[in-house]
Amino acid sequence: MDDLDAILGSAPERIEAARTLEALSAVETELLGRNSVITAQRRGLGQLEPSERPAAGARLNEAAQRLQGLVDERRRMLDLEAEDRLLADDRVDVTVARRSLRTGTSHLITQTIDEIADIFTAIGYQIADGPEAETAWHNFDALNTPWWHPSRLESDTMYLDYGDPEDEILLRTQTSTVQARTMESQPPPVHIIAPGRCYRTDTFDATHSPVFHQFEGLAVAEGITFADLKGTLSYFAREYFGPDRTIKVIPHFFPFTEPSAEMHVSCFACDGSGCRVCSQSGWLELLGCGMVDPNVFEAVGYDPAAVTGFAFGGGIERVAMVRHGIEDIRHLFDNDLRVNEQFV
Amino acid sequence: MRVSLRWLREFVDLPMDDPIEIGDLLAGLGHEVEGIEMLEVPFTGVEIARVESIRPHPDADKIRLATVDRGGTTQEVVCGAWNFDVGDVVTLATVGAVLPGDFEIGAREIRGVVSEGMICSERELGFGDEHDGILVLEGDYELGRDLADYLELPDVVFDLSITPNRPDAMSMLGIARDVAAKLDLELREPAITITESDPPTKLQIEIADPVGCPRFVGREVRGVTSGPSPLWMQARLRAAGVRPISNLVDATNYVLMELGHPTHAFDLDQVAGEQLRIHRAGADDTLTTLDDVERALDPGDIVISDADGIVSLAGIMGGGPTEVSDETTRVLVEAAHWHPPAILYSSKRHNLRSEASARFERGIDPNLSDRAAARVAQLLVEHAGGEAATRIVDVYPEPAESWTVELPVSEIERVLGVDIGAETAAGLLVRLGMEVSGSDPLVVLVPTARPDLTRPIDLVEEVARLYGYDQIPETLPHGTGGGLTPDQHRARRLRAVLMGAGLTEANTLGFIGASDLDALGLPEDDPRRATVRVKNPLSEAEETLRSTLLPGLVKAAARNVSYGLRDVALFEMGRVFLHRPSSIDKRIPDQPPHLAGIMIGSVSGDLGGADREADVFDLTAVLDGLAVDLGWHDLSFRQAPVGGLHPGRSAEVVKGEEVIGYVGELHPAAARSFDLTGRIAVFEIEVDPLLAEPPWWGFRPPSVYPPQKFDLAFEMDSAMPAADLMAAVRSSLGDELESVRLFDEFDLGGGRKSLAVTVAVRAADHTLTDDEAQGFRHTIIDHVQSELAVKLRGGE
Repeated sequence: MDDLDAILGSAPERIEAARTLEALSAVETELLGRNSVITAQRRGLGQLEPSERPAAGARLNEAAQRLQGLVDERRRMLDLEAEDRLLADDRVDVTVARRSLRTGTSHLITQTIDEIADIFTAIGYQIADGPEAETAWHNFDALNTPWWHPSRLESDTMYLDYGDPEDEILLRTQTSTVQARTMESQPPPVHIIAPGRCYRTDTFDATHSPVFHQFEGLAVAEGITFADLKGTLSYFAREYFGPDRTIKVIPHFFPFTEPSAEMHVSCFACDGSGCRVCSQSGWLELLGCGMVDPNVFEAVGYDPAAVTGFAFGGGIERVAMVRHGIEDIRHLFDNDLRVNEQFV
Repeated sequence: MRVSLRWLREFVDLPMDDPIEIGDLLAGLGHEVEGIEMLEVPFTGVEIARVESIRPHPDADKIRLATVDRGGTTQEVVCGAWNFDVGDVVTLATVGAVLPGDFEIGAREIRGVVSEGMICSERELGFGDEHDGILVLEGDYELGRDLADYLELPDVVFDLSITPNRPDAMSMLGIARDVAAKLDLELREPAITITESDPPTKLQIEIADPVGCPRFVGREVRGVTSGPSPLWMQARLRAAGVRPISNLVDATNYVLMELGHPTHAFDLDQVAGEQLRIHRAGADDTLTTLDDVERALDPGDIVISDADGIVSLAGIMGGGPTEVSDETTRVLVEAAHWHPPAILYSSKRHNLRSEASARFERGIDPNLSDRAAARVAQLLVEHAGGEAATRIVDVYPEPAESWTVELPVSEIERVLGVDIGAETAAGLLVRLGMEVSGSDPLVVLVPTARPDLTRPIDLVEEVARLYGYDQIPETLPHGTGGGLTPDQHRARRLRAVLMGAGLTEANTLGFIGASDLDALGLPEDDPRRATVRVKNPLSEAEETLRSTLLPGLVKAAARNVSYGLRDVALFEMGRVFLHRPSSIDKRIPDQPPHLAGIMIGSVSGDLGGADREADVFDLTAVLDGLAVDLGWHDLSFRQAPVGGLHPGRSAEVVKGEEVIGYVGELHPAAARSFDLTGRIAVFEIEVDPLLAEPPWWGFRPPSVYPPQKFDLAFEMDSAMPAADLMAAVRSSLGDELESVRLFDEFDLGGGRKSLAVTVAVRAADHTLTDDEAQGFRHTIIDHVQSELAVKLRGGE
């Protein structure tokens, strides 16, 4: 039995001394294998007195378990060390992406339309749409534009060779057409925003595009007032340009609103003190607006004595260019990925 | 319109001086300020002086010595100009004066004579271009007084944009009236006093076109002498942006700016028969206008003829011979009212816009014509030495009268949202020159100068304008229920999927030309050739509306390639225009929204690894993913030739049974016409079918039991579409069929090919046994072989 004590005494050191899995297996075989002292003693148990066998057997088992535990623990350590070495070899430089996730962007005009839509749907508006190839009636007559008004000339408006010449089909010059289309098709109340494409016979330059986008707002109900118009535009200015923005509306003229106004927003870049963005004025001219002219209500079959309403219309490109500091509208239609992908 | 602050102050005592504050006041009245210009005195030390005597220079032939009187003190100056004489009043830059260009005047010795100052020309003083001689003044000038006192300087000029509804505001007096009304100040109108002398004028006026010309006032002023206008008048005209010409022409321009009523000055001696007739031009008539352009007239043009023929394009421009000149001694002053639309069309047609046409086309006050004519005559008497003739010709068959508008007081609050009170409202209207009676409704008599005020709402607008838009509170009403509709939500989702797939949104102008469709190589009977033509296109290359998004998108992609970008993936969603009636309105063309995409270049591999060239399958993947994402499981691709596309690499996109578009690669010839090479993957589909509400498939809890998988390879004719095999496999089993995937394809030779699929089957309620899986396998094989001319490879 002294042998066993000696083995148990020296085993931890020998196991710890095994530096590799192979060396550890060799030690394990020496300690616990077929030719080990413990195995030899197990074989010799039969020669002991029956009364001594249980105690001797238990002592051997305990010793074997202890040794096996030490070996297993050492093996786990060596496994971890081996994995660490593998990991150390399996090293890559992750500081630069080697594959790219290619994602696209939506167009700034779309982003602007969506943002404006969200601003107004939040206060109970719906988004309306209308045709781009329109009748002159919807684009002009319904909007109280006199027959002789210069905006009807071919120098301003593109006409289409389509249908009955009496109908005068044209490319809408303003999203205000959706006012007429919407009111024709539903009774009041109406609260809509109509974003979309418009066309004018303009030469393409830094500030003009023959194709551009507008957003038209229309609120018609009993009791809608000019004060409501001001409050709504003020809300829009704060939502789109920031919470500190204020607005001013100054008198203007449009055939389809009366009273009419132009809405200016305090410059977001200088907070109204005057800078390059606002041409030193402290204000940015943003959109045209006013109370829906009674003639428009009559044209679409609403009773001007029963309802009032306001309308406003602004350029999508205009508000987007102002906010993002874009000075040439052509950037918005060139579809240069280097431009489009800047707006995410 | 340029408004001089000094001129404005003649009519109203503005209490403020700050140009910004005044600009805000004008803008608040609806007259947008496009610019503020500060006019400064361009010199110092220049005085009025009179030439007392002139003597030759002792040592030079070309210059003289003039002794001038500066109002008590006299001095001698050297002068090189010869256009003056003893007794003339001139401008003297005294020693120490500084002229424009920092030119300081010192006592200078010129050939042995000391010149104490300089007699100046207009150009040396910084106004006008006259430099042929020195400036000789005519009229009353006080000797020794600072010249600046006569030049109306310094001044502030407001460049205003007058809205088209306000013809009355296109004058100094009109702006002054608005300002006076806003600030509740007195308006001083110019006093028009005129003495007439016999004999009466012989002038005869006939209006043959009373619609085109409702009123014509003619006055004769005889004995005038052409010369420069007084300095103050020239200065005011310059401030207003009008070049001074002569006292005869300046008088009409001054009245134009002062009262806003254009007038015209004829040389009466050149008017044949001393008679004028107003009528429409004949189709073959021509007129050589003042600018020496011979113009073809048409029956839309209103013209004025004398006994010999047409002398003037009414309201727009006169002809040369009857214009006033330096020799004119007898002036016919015309103040007429012309039909606004006629002037608008004529001025646009002849491309002749002027200060006069701008006012006529808006509609001036016909009751102002007599005063305008009298005011011009007065100025000609005062500044050109003329004498006004008795007998004023005033043809005005149907005089315009003021009208009344009834304004219910409640209407003001109903529209504006603020109760300003009947009395305040009435007061504001009175200040604008209206007469108001009654308390509710207010009965308002509107002057003929305000054609824009005919309805109660127009008066509400005037009340609001004067009350101040800034005084109206801000309130925020809410709509009756907002939000995006389901299809609007789906449209946003559609964009998100495309972006996630790496495509960037484009926005192209939307015009195409026949050349674009030719470049694509579309056959003559391709439906995309049925385009809607623009009558007045921007250019020939943009003469029709797009019937397809493809040309615009291909060009946008090609442009990116030309910018040096290698990998380009774009999509665009927008309307196309088809030559058939729209379902929402039969009068207009159908204009359904389309979605198109293009992918060029490589799909990125690893660093150093090979990039894969994008091809049609990148876009079929996009379309598949898009459909599934929007809730549709019925999208398929039907191999078919598509105009403009590679014949072997194109397909129709089918949703259910309906063809909604195409996908493929551009035909190499089409690609070349857009300067592109390589595979150009494209698609275009109708959007509405995808945005419709998809069917709800019903929830199926996932099976917790394991699947069984097996592969099947079939042999078939090379032409058979793989989609047919997939469809046949799918229709073989019910819910047990979990997935089918094509994993191998190869050419067997002899017009045969092999397609291999891997199939997964799974039961909802138990683990499939091997026998069950074998059963499914046989069911599939039997079904596919009975449906299609295919044979399982490897026996059975």
